[in-house]
Amino acid sequence: MIAPSTLQATVQRRIDAGARLACIFADRVGADNILYYVIEENGNLQTLSGPVFDAVRSLAVRVPAAAWYEREISERWNVRFENLPPSRPLTIVAPAEQLRVVESSEVSTLLYGPIRSGIVESVRWVVETAGEDFISVYPSMWLKHRGLEARFVNVPIALAPYVAEHVSGASASSHAAAFCKTTEILLGIEAPERARAARAILVELERIHQHLDSLAKLAEDASLSVGSAQVFAAKERVHRLLCETTGNRFARGTICVGGTRFDVFECLREVCSRELDDLQERALSAIDRLISTQSFMDRLIGTGTISHADAAALGGVGPTARGSGVSCDARTGDGYLFTPLDFREALEGGCDAAARTLVRVAEIRRSFQLVRNALDADPRGSYRTSFGLSDGEAIARVESPQGELLYFVRIDSGAIARVAVRGASFANWPLFVPSLRGNIFTDFSFIEHSFGALQSEVDR
Amino acid sequence: MSWIGYGLRGGILTTHYPYGDDRMPEAYRGEIEFVESGHRIEAGEGGVADICLSQAIAEESIVSKVDTLRCFRCGECTRVAPDRFVARNHFEIARVAGSPSSVLRALKERLHSLGRSVHLRHVDAGSDGSEEQELNAIFNPFYDANRLGVFLTASPRHADMLVVTGAVTRPMLEPLQRAFAAMPSPKVVIALGTTACSGGIFRGRPEIVGPVDAVLPVDVWIPGSPPSPLSILHGIWVALGRTLAHGEVGV
Repeated sequence: MIAPSTLQATVQRRIDAGARLACIFADRVGADNILYYVIEENGNLQTLSGPVFDAVRSLAVRVPAAAWYEREISERWNVRFENLPPSRPLTIVAPAEQLRVVESSEVSTLLYGPIRSGIVESVRWVVETAGEDFISVYPSMWLKHRGLEARFVNVPIALAPYVAEHVSGASASSHAAAFCKTTEILLGIEAPERARAARAILVELERIHQHLDSLAKLAEDASLSVGSAQVFAAKERVHRLLCETTGNRFARGTICVGGTRFDVFECLREVCSRELDDLQERALSAIDRLISTQSFMDRLIGTGTISHADAAALGGVGPTARGSGVSCDARTGDGYLFTPLDFREALEGGCDAAARTLVRVAEIRRSFQLVRNALDADPRGSYRTSFGLSDGEAIARVESPQGELLYFVRIDSGAIARVAVRGASFANWPLFVPSLRGNIFTDFSFIEHSFGALQSEVDR
Repeated sequence: MSWIGYGLRGGILTTHYPYGDDRMPEAYRGEIEFVESGHRIEAGEGGVADICLSQAIAEESIVSKVDTLRCFRCGECTRVAPDRFVARNHFEIARVAGSPSSVLRALKERLHSLGRSVHLRHVDAGSDGSEEQELNAIFNPFYDANRLGVFLTASPRHADMLVVTGAVTRPMLEPLQRAFAAMPSPKVVIALGTTACSGGIFRGRPEIVGPVDAVLPVDVWIPGSPPSPLSILHGIWVALGRTLAHGEVGV
């Protein structure tokens, strides 16, 4: 705990010295609000925390990545940030007239969503345009807020991973793995090697199906019907493999605190030995063909540009930031689940939708390799370790398909008292605003799908 | 080789379902069944509340019931009390309201004018994001819902069926009601996924208005977390009156 007068200055100093701000969240103990600043230094996460009694100094002026976290906390926790740059409400579903920022008779404001064409998650875009060009585009979020962080409170530890899987069903393994890893650090235990290998395989397979989903939707946007169908077919094969091994097409109900709920490693080894070669061959041939289709890449090159400086300053993570050359893969730091062998993160310098697509393609390749490495390691022994409950708090991260996923868990009197979730999609939405500048309406869906965000983990 | 040549080389992947048979893998948790001969659960002081997060299990003196619309198929009960709860790989699990035969007749009558093709409009009222991907999957080459005359439509004005995912959050209540109001009659509503069917783990939470049927007249419930594409195809077939819902007796 750091005294309220020096907390923000301490965080600012560390960031000035090269640390990255990963997240800010709040907690309440008794009548006091506690602020947590999570920073990454040399590949490791650290938290700086302290109580807040009055207004606190906003970091957002000098650290743009702080803006959305501070805004969310100011709206949800009744904490006042001094000098927080003005912006639209983030977590309050506001009427259209309050969402406008540009006041000009030349500019029209369009509200796009929450119900849009296609099968999409609910998010409402506030589009300000003077005709064909975007002036400003903002997501008006929180429509899907289901109170998941509050839902965790007092849930028995054995059942809590099921709640984590509800935060984002499409990246359920990453959420369950991140929650369990955090809780294990808190309890001072470690899952057996066999369970960690199984978790790593499940998260890598999840990365493959989510990246394929993003690529297939981009192909669909480019009216490449056969390409899209082939990539969706590859995605379906991953779900079938997961269903055969875990009983759920998104591998839900598999990961638990202390390991895995059953010997899923054995099931994975058996099914993968039969099906992984064919799956990999079909997935890679479809995506290789996709990125060598010139008419497809032409739609992505130069679309939705995010400069390296913007991506780093706004705190982007995952393929979205790596497409702008920002090194941020948690698997190279403390975010790995199972010791990776010669893992290199995929980076591209193109800064556009094409670069983000190429990062995903490279990551699909590496994920197959990581799956094979973990299968080959074949760690023996049990898949679950027993544990006793103890109080405390911990933070940990996992590289989810969308990027770095952070979980904070606090246990008090043997029960879960607070869980904070910082999904990768939340960290990436601030990058959406600059990425649309200078683009036109028909680019919108390409840019949106090149982010591959999951709104459920943003709104929580 | 062109994309078309590449696609053809992959061969036919599409299931024959619902005209022919298809099945889910043995391990698939499509439905949890209570087995009467088993022992009662003794899972700590909290009893069943300790093993069922969505309170789908009603533990009575001799028998237990699993409420299929509340159950999100985590499989916890089948691991804690394997002699009492068993996971089945059924996928034909869609339910219809009230007395099945009258609803079936009403649905058939309402859908008679649609002929063979049917257009879906989807609304996410607060899902976890996986139901959308599974609904999207019914159009992939393995299921190809287009071959059955099932299409997506961009506007609720052209929609025959409204597919709603997720328990209804407060901000989504109005958009959902407006989409329903914009639909032409007959309006068929499908609740897709456990949280849409019953609220699931969010039942009674202040952020949620309720399950979809608290807000709109639901015709078909497809539970699952998320329901598999085959379950979704079955649910659509049930809504069209072309097959029977789970446990329903023929007319």
